[in-house]
Amino acid sequence: MALLEIKNACISYGSREIVKDFNLTLEPGQLCSIVGESGSGKTTVIRAVLGLLPGGGKVTGGDILFEGNSLLGKSKEEWRKLRGTEISMIFQDSGAMMNPTRKIGASYVEYIRTHEKDISKQDAWDKAVRMLERMRLPSGDNIMRSYPFQLSGGMRQRVGIAMGMTYEPKLLLADEPTSALDVTTQAQIIRQFMELRDDFGTNIIMVTHNLGVAAYMSDYLIVMKDGLIEDQGDRDYILHHSENAYTKMLLDAVPSLGGERYV
Amino acid sequence: MYDDRELILEAKHVTREFPASNNRTLLACNDVSLNLYKGKTLGLVGESGCGKSTFMRFLVSLDKPTSGEIIFKGKDITKLKGEELRQNRQHIQMVFQDPSGSFNPKMKVRDIICEPLLNFNRIKPSEKDATAKKFLKMVDLPESFADRYPHNMSGGQCQRVAIARAIALEPEIIVMDEATCALDVSVQKTIIELVVNLQKEKDITIGFIAHDLGLIQSFAHEIAVMYLGNIVEVLPGEDIGKNAMHPYTQALQGAIFDLNMDFSKKIESIDSEAPSPLDVPPGCPFQDRCEYCMDKCRKEHPKLVEVEKGHQVACHKFGQA
Repeated sequence: MALLEIKNACISYGSREIVKDFNLTLEPGQLCSIVGESGSGKTTVIRAVLGLLPGGGKVTGGDILFEGNSLLGKSKEEWRKLRGTEISMIFQDSGAMMNPTRKIGASYVEYIRTHEKDISKQDAWDKAVRMLERMRLPSGDNIMRSYPFQLSGGMRQRVGIAMGMTYEPKLLLADEPTSALDVTTQAQIIRQFMELRDDFGTNIIMVTHNLGVAAYMSDYLIVMKDGLIEDQGDRDYILHHSENAYTKMLLDAVPSLGGERYV
Repeated sequence: MYDDRELILEAKHVTREFPASNNRTLLACNDVSLNLYKGKTLGLVGESGCGKSTFMRFLVSLDKPTSGEIIFKGKDITKLKGEELRQNRQHIQMVFQDPSGSFNPKMKVRDIICEPLLNFNRIKPSEKDATAKKFLKMVDLPESFADRYPHNMSGGQCQRVAIARAIALEPEIIVMDEATCALDVSVQKTIIELVVNLQKEKDITIGFIAHDLGLIQSFAHEIAVMYLGNIVEVLPGEDIGKNAMHPYTQALQGAIFDLNMDFSKKIESIDSEAPSPLDVPPGCPFQDRCEYCMDKCRKEHPKLVEVEKGHQVACHKFGQA
């Protein structure tokens, strides 16, 4: 059985249809990327999977199935059980999702205690520190005592990954997790994502506008344009055999060493 | 190969220290010497916080170095004051990273583009409309954009308007501070093409800040790699990828996601983060992340040494005979 199945999903904000007929089947162990330019609806798709569409957004047609059960029309309580434990999400800037006036430790402990009602504060703290250190953050204790703005972009993103992975979810959704980072930090974070799959067996859906990153990471790529799937296939197909003009344009735009020079 | 080049701006031993808490100092630029040549592009590459923006801000007189001089047209622009400083600004313009953030949200594109020209009395207010249209055309935007507000444009369109504003005064140097890193890769490519065409047309010198070597190598004549406030390597643009020597430059190269790369190979990248510029270790700034670190690197600060024509490296591994 497929882990996640999106069938002909249509998503609208108010009366405007943003995503039309989106289909995706994620088999266990697969890493899938959704690629496209800003405004192509790629973020909308993965937000819909987690039921996090912003105000006015609604899935108007089709169905989204997670392990065979429909995710549409779940109650608040059902979502609470699912989010964080079964499906979790990493945002473009994990610093922005944390309360800027609270230390990371406070947010993280609260997060753990929301999911595990009977864990003590000290145990939650230790669990958080262990998780941070697993994500290659040195001195987790120090990080827990810092405010989000005291950390660099790459460290914040690691904290976000650590929080998302605390309960080893089956499905991890990543929304442009490296777009705001330096290339060196980007490489570190991408490597970490690949390790997540090896270590935890997590399935990942990654949204990005950089085909170079997507191609390195994924087994399966979906190219979106204006809310429609423009092209899809495995890496080899997209990179070498696709006849689609838009895919070719995106491929062409990836800066590469020894590539085209204008001067 | 660069015999025909004409020196336009010369930065000599520029150092900038910022005061920090507990009587410490933050060394943002340490003895940086770089040259800009007429009609050429200098790419300044490095991680966040390495001082590349700090350096470029000196060129546009947004900040002054603690010591060192920047010679432009025979004058040290760090010493300029008052009207002379104001007049000098029209020769060096800047394009910022966040396009929409550098516009007044209540101004229309027409006013945005014409404001610098009006400031220097280059045009009369009655000529605004025609001038704005001329520059919009130059950056491949439709003329109707003159009536738009910044929030009605996409990131790429905003960046085009910012470029139009920068070239309006016909400056000799344009500084671009990560001008494309907030944009999609596909839009990034079109902006770079636009910049290169404008450069050829108007013979503008460009100082471009970036953190992506893959991007910068596509259009820079010369690339300077910066690490923790120090220039560690200066090399011709076409040499990057095959002839880079400094371990840091090579690490940057390893971090690029290339479509032609071997996908089964693990991506190579330095693990740790750059140390804080508040306590730069003595000796080579890169010592803690360098796999070739020797005893000498911990004691002695390497100097930039010319290893071949137009190629300088600051590393004890090379050229310190």
